[in-house]
Formats: sequence, C-alpha cells, structure tokens
Amino acid sequence: MFLAGLPLATLLTIGAAAGALVLVFYILKLRRRPVAVPFSPIWERILRDKEATTLFSQLKRILSLLLQLLLLTLMLLALGDPRLRAIVTGGRNVVVLVDASASMKATDEKPSRLDAAKAEVRKLVTGLGGSDRLLIARMDAALTPLSTMTGEIPDLQKAVDEISATDTRADLRRGLSFGLDSLRGLSKPEIIVVSDGALGDVTEAARGLDLGGVELTFVPIGKSGKNVAITEFSVRRYPLDKSRYEVMLEVTNTNAEPANVELTLLGDGEVVDLTRLALGPNERLPRFYKDLAGASRTLEARIRLADGSADALPSDDHAYALMPERRRSRVLVVTPGNTYLEAALLLDEYLDVTLIPPAKYPPSDAYDVTIFDGVAPPLAKHTGSALYLAVPEKGGPVATGKRIEMFGFDTWDKKSPIVRFTALGDIQVAHGYALKPEQGDRVIGASDLGPILVAGRRAGRKFVALGFDPRESDFVLRVAWPLFVLNTINDFVEEDTGYVSSFRTGDVWQIPAPSAAEIATLEDPSGHKRRVPVKEGRAVYLGDQAGFYKLSVEGEPEPFTTMFAANLADLEESRIEPKRELSLAGKTAIAPAGFTPGVRRELWLYLLGAVLIVSVLEWVTYHRRITV
Amino acid sequence: MLDVFRRVTAPVSRRMGRTRAEAEDLFDDEFQRKLETLAIVSRRVFAGNMRAERRTKKKGSGVEFADHRNYAPGDDFRYVDWNVYQRFGRLLVRLYEEEEDLSIYFIVDCSSSMAFGDNKKFDQARRLCAALAYVGLANLDRVTIVGVNDEVIARMPTTRGKGRIFKVFDFLRTLKPDGTTELRETMKTFVAQHKRRGLAVLISDLYDPAGFEGGINMLRFNKFEPYVLHIVDPRESRLTLKGNVRIYDCETGDEREVTVTPKLLERMQRAWGEYREQVERFCIARQVPYFAADVDTPFDELVLRVFRRGGFLR
Repeated sequence: MFLAGLPLATLLTIGAAAGALVLVFYILKLRRRPVAVPFSPIWERILRDKEATTLFSQLKRILSLLLQLLLLTLMLLALGDPRLRAIVTGGRNVVVLVDASASMKATDEKPSRLDAAKAEVRKLVTGLGGSDRLLIARMDAALTPLSTMTGEIPDLQKAVDEISATDTRADLRRGLSFGLDSLRGLSKPEIIVVSDGALGDVTEAARGLDLGGVELTFVPIGKSGKNVAITEFSVRRYPLDKSRYEVMLEVTNTNAEPANVELTLLGDGEVVDLTRLALGPNERLPRFYKDLAGASRTLEARIRLADGSADALPSDDHAYALMPERRRSRVLVVTPGNTYLEAALLLDEYLDVTLIPPAKYPPSDAYDVTIFDGVAPPLAKHTGSALYLAVPEKGGPVATGKRIEMFGFDTWDKKSPIVRFTALGDIQVAHGYALKPEQGDRVIGASDLGPILVAGRRAGRKFVALGFDPRESDFVLRVAWPLFVLNTINDFVEEDTGYVSSFRTGDVWQIPAPSAAEIATLEDPSGHKRRVPVKEGRAVYLGDQAGFYKLSVEGEPEPFTTMFAANLADLEESRIEPKRELSLAGKTAIAPAGFTPGVRRELWLYLLGAVLIVSVLEWVTYHRRITV
Repeated sequence: MLDVFRRVTAPVSRRMGRTRAEAEDLFDDEFQRKLETLAIVSRRVFAGNMRAERRTKKKGSGVEFADHRNYAPGDDFRYVDWNVYQRFGRLLVRLYEEEEDLSIYFIVDCSSSMAFGDNKKFDQARRLCAALAYVGLANLDRVTIVGVNDEVIARMPTTRGKGRIFKVFDFLRTLKPDGTTELRETMKTFVAQHKRRGLAVLISDLYDPAGFEGGINMLRFNKFEPYVLHIVDPRESRLTLKGNVRIYDCETGDEREVTVTPKLLERMQRAWGEYREQVERFCIARQVPYFAADVDTPFDELVLRVFRRGGFLR
C-alpha cells in the first residue's frame, strides 16, 4: 500500500491541524444551551433516577467526537489516494493514438469520423480499470500528447474533448515511436490506434521500429469513402508580362466509380471559370488555365459533384493560391554604360530603372536592387540587394581568384531560380576571374577552372556575383542573358515567376520575412493569430490548416505584411476508403479488449463514500440530539 | 453568577414586562359583560342560598334559632324561652345563629413562575380573581385581594358592593409577577395581617420549593377556610426539548445539566401529573376545596365549574 495523492507528512500535518480544530469545536459544542423551567424540583425528582445513565450519556457525546475524527481520518486518507502496490504495478499502460488527419474530417460517420473516434476513445476511458493508466495523443503531421499517462478519468475525458482534426496527413511512424518510447519499461504496454486507416504506407512507417512486447490494437473508424479532390493547385505570372498568369490544377477521383465534377475557379471571390469534368475511375485529371488576365490576388478552386450531392470529405474540395504580388521594383544600375544590360532591363515593364555613373554612388533614393557593372563600391544600406557583373578584385562580396581565360559554364545549379529557363552550356567567355565563395555562399555556376557565378548573403542582404564581364562573352547575345538578369531581380524582390505551389499543410513552412525580424505574427484562415519565430529571413511554422494566411512583422524601417496560401493537396489523405484492419511488421492489430465499464478499484472513491455515510450519520445523530 | 442568571432569565423577564395596554385588555368590555352574566348565573345555581349574609357558628343576635342552653345569671331575660319553662319548669335561654358579612380573601401568586409561558398563568389567575371577586362583591361580601410571592407584595383594602369592581381591576393591573414563591411564610404574614377570618382563595401554580402544603396548612390552622385554585399550564409538562441542555429554575436560578431524551420527557410529564395529583390529594384529604384551572380554558367556563363544584360560596 502506498499513497498516490498527498504525501504522508503533508497528511499528518493537515490531520494534526484539522484534528485540533475538531477538538476545539467539540469543546465549544459541549457548552450546553440554557433552558428555563418553571419549577426545577420536578426535574430533580426524575433526575435522581437518571443519574445512573449519565455514563451512557457521556459515551454518546464522545461518540460525536469519534464520528468527527473518523470523518476527518477518512477525508485525509482519501486525499492521500491510497493504492495497493500490487494493483498498480499490475495494471495496463496504454497509449491511444487518435488519428486527427484530414481524412478524419470525412462525414460518412455522423457528424464526422473524428467525432466517432472520440466516442470510441471515451468508451476506452470509461472502461479503464482502476489500476490501468492511459495516455491520449493526437496524431497528425505532428504528434501531440494531450494527457499524461494517468488513470484519472476526468483528465482523460478533457484530453478527448481537446482532439480536433487538421488538414494534414497522419504521421504513423512518429506516433508509434512516441508510443514505444512512452511505454518503455512499463507493465502490460499497449498501443491503440484509432483511425480510418488512411495512414499512408504503414509498412514503411513501421520499418525499423521494434514493437517487442507492446500489444498493438486498432479501432477502425469510417463507413464509406466516396470522394473527389483537388490534389494540385498552382498559379504563376508570366515572367515577361506580370499582368497575366496561368493556373495548373489537378482533380482526382479516388473512387472506382466514374464521377462528374463541377469545377469553379474564383479570383478574389468572383467566378473566373466554371467547368464540368468527367472523371473516370481513380482518374487524376490535370487542367491548365493559360493566359488568364486580371488583377485578382487570391485564387480559389472548388469542386463539387455535378449531381449536387456532397462527397464524404469536404476539406479537399477547396484549394487556394495567392498570386505573386505585382509591384514595380526599383532598380539602380551603377555603370559607365552597358547597352546589353539596359536592353535586358527594358524587357520588364514593371521595373523602374535608374542609371548612374559609378562616381555618383550612393544616391539619396532607396532601391530594391542595385546592379554594379564592373565596380564594387561599399554597399549603401538603402540600395537593396546587389548583382555584381565582373566583380573587381577589391570591394566585391566575394574575393576574386586567378584570372582565367576561354572558359564557360561547365556546371550550374539547375534548380536555382537565378538560372531558371536558361541554357548556359554553350556560352563562351574570353576571360574573367574565378571567384572565391565564402562559407554559406552558393555556387550557382562554375567552369572547370573555378566558380564564376556565386550567390549569397552579406549583412542580411542578397547578392549575386558574376566573375566575368558579360560583354567579354557571347552571354549577352543569348536569350539566357535577359532571363538571368530578370531572374536575379525577381529573386531579390521575392517575385517568383515559377509555379506558385502554395504551402502544403503538414510541412514545416519557411515563409519569407524581413531578415532583421525575429518574431512575426501569423494569422491563420480561422482568424487566429499566433507569434512565430523568424530565422534568417524565414518565418518557421508547421501549418496544419488549409486557406489563406497573413504574416506580418512590425518594426523598422517599415511594417511588413505578406499573404500566402496553404493546401491539403495530398492524394493519400483524399483516399478515404476506410480500412478495417491494420497490419504492421507482419502483425495484424486486433481490436482492443478489456475496456469494460465497471467497478473501479480506487480506494479513495470508497473512502469518499464512507465520508458521505459518516457525515449523514453525524448529521442524523446531531439533529436527533443523540450525540448532543 | 447573578449576571449570568439575569442574562439567561432575560427572555422570561421580557415576557413579564408587557405593556399596560396589553394588561388592560384583561378586563375589557367583553370581560365585564361576562362577569355580569356570571353574577346572574351564580344566583340561579345557588337558588336562594346566595344571600348577603353568612351564618356563622357564632351564636348571637341573629334571627335563626340555633339551640337552648341553661340560663346563667346575667343573661338577657328577653332570650329566656318561657314556653319551655311553662312545660318543663326549666329556665333555658334561646340561642340564635349570629349573622355576619362573609370575608373573601383572594391571594394571588405573583412569583416569576406565574409568568412562565407567555404570562398565561398570571393572566388567567387575574381573570379568575376578578370574576370571583365580582361575584362576591355582587353578593355584598367583603372582598380583599393580596398579591404574594415570597412576601405579601400588595394588598387591596377590603371592599364590598359590585360598584367597586373597577377598584379590583385597577389593583390587579398593578400586579407584576416577580420573585420566588414561599407560601408558608407569606401565609403566615397574611394571617397575621387579617384577623377577620373568612374564605381564603389561593390562586397559584403552587410551585413552592419549600412545599405548597405549608401555606395551605397555615390558612387552615388559623381558622381560614382555604380554597385552592390551582393554575395549571399543560405545556409545562409537554416540553419540546432535546439533547444536552442546562436547565435553570426561572425563580431560584438553580441550574442543572440534563441530557433530554424522549424517555426523560415522558417521565417529566408523568412527574408533573403526579405533582398535580399530589396537590389535589392533599386538599381532598383535608377537606380543602380544590380546583385546577387550566390556562387554555376560558375563565368564564372555569368560574361556572367552580360554582358547580361548590365550596366557594355556601
């Protein structure tokens, strides 16, 4: 026997204080109330015989004190929560992983699969034995424990109430790892997975995990899986005409039956396009909307079954995208004169270009981007990010190495947005310098003789450095030249002309933010605001809700606000056909057993019951004047 | 200790200290109308026996023949029965019953115990006293009222004639229940103060720690004709107490710790009844008219019962 509640020393202290109090009250109670009688000799007559029973009367009064002390003792024992050591060590230890992924929002179970799952977990909680302990964890992209390993039913019920579904996929591997870690060393370990079975590749999830003696059980949720979904949704502006954009989306029929779908595209809430699509069984149908015009900033795609009926999972019937902001970038060109460069800059009408000779740098106005043509004066703070053409030996962001001649781009980073859509392989350069990138810099392009195109950050601002004068090569004669210049400017001003694949829920997002900021405020689609950290110019957040987000940073030199979209876009989560069994590591999880509501073996409950009985006894004996 | 006693007896004292207006209500018009009715009824009940005179054992100059005795020198010749002398040759003197006014003394107990239970006993005692006094006055008897506790605390001088009833009312209004009961000592004082013997109506709850017998015997032994009107309040035997209490005598302040149980209450009720029977037995054994007056019975009904029982007026 040991005390699981208050420690013995505390109980003894409380008992001593409360016992003293009871005694004081008892002594005060002993003062009899005075009652007037008209003729006391009559009482004297009968009390002469009564003397013999005085001892019994005193005993009855002591009974009152004894009842009160018994009451106190029982309460103290209940506070101590005494438990039999044998029972505690013999109980089960259970981790319940409740699938809270997007598929659990399906409405084939009314009102939703998640509510059905919560009902199942409540049954498990109420069926918990007195010596059993249980931990409830929400399993989505992350794993969130909602309770401690406890046998306290109110705490567990509260934890169940807190479970809510997110627009992410469930990470079963993470859940199992957590469960195994939590149950290590505990008796009768058991992991219960409450899920619809849309858990991705469960074999892969269990790879390397040793379930050992942990019993794995499964509570299947869900009835049917009729669903169509938007599984891709992207939008981009045209690089050379940012007033126009194109959209790519993909609609998927996850059923074995064909489905007719009505697809609606909305720009800033207004219908841009309405199409009917006929989807074959399990068909994934991509769809492009090209050369769309308009000033819309937000785009939303919606689908619904053409017959008007609803599918089982409404949360993947919407997809959101936010167009890159169209704004005029201010570009400063510090050059003695460069026709090729000026010509390239003329191609983008959204650039506001200012040309100054090197001697007039720095100017008084602020700029987003500065292009240094063969010069590298100390970079002024208000002139933004910098593109260095023909980095001089001194003053540039990167040091120059040996002079090299007759070279070209032998390798380049094809994924870099700076060289996107360009073919650099056949460019010939007469002479230039190999660059010496510092730690953290990225080599975008290099010849066999050394790096010739380097990108990086200095003092929080981006730079791109080219190791040769483009006019000393045929680079300026190629289409790659204006694309390189415009790509670099777009990269500096965060205007990506690539497909704007919105953030995917369940991933850790790295949202561009001012590099000087440390904390940003993120407003999610439901309007809830939270503080998120900013690290190296990126706000970091694990998003779990689809829709439009707003990130804002308050501070110097001016407030920064940006919007972005997040989508579920997960085919695995859209396949909501419920699975009736779960097989992991060659074992098929069975249904949990032994959770039958019944008598709990917690002594404090019975002690409280005894307190109640003794209280009633004391009340009755007091008011019947038996013990007073 | 005295302070404690005063504090615990405060509720009783407060009950005793009723307003004058309340006291005056005792003898309101309704009460007076009932008195008149009682006077008429009393005449009918006693059918001619009710006279203004009262025959005494004393022989004297009355009208009613009582007896003969031998002539002794110095006797009035007018009382010599010459007819008897003519027939028997003996000188006998005719004796007549001397007639004198009846003196009725109302002795009202004014101890604290009479105020116990919302003053009901004391009010009933005063009403009965007033009613019987009215009947006496109406019969031209000499009526005297004294208020007693452990001494004679008030005395209404002897009066007669029913027109003096308001004097009786005024006197009774001035009486306040207070103090302890000592019947023996009080009656001793009473008999010493009143040489003219007569009917002594003792109106009391007879809660005398020294014993009620002493007071009644004192009247008997001093040639008074005691009549006991025992004022009883049944509520005093039906207490609603429970548990541990400290009882104290409302007159003496004597305390006693008691654990009251239903059984004890039952015994208390029995003891109270025994006490009452003891009083009654005592009176009957000594041919003292006894009448128990319940506080819950209307006074006029009680007075009629008194008449029917007899002994009050002969």
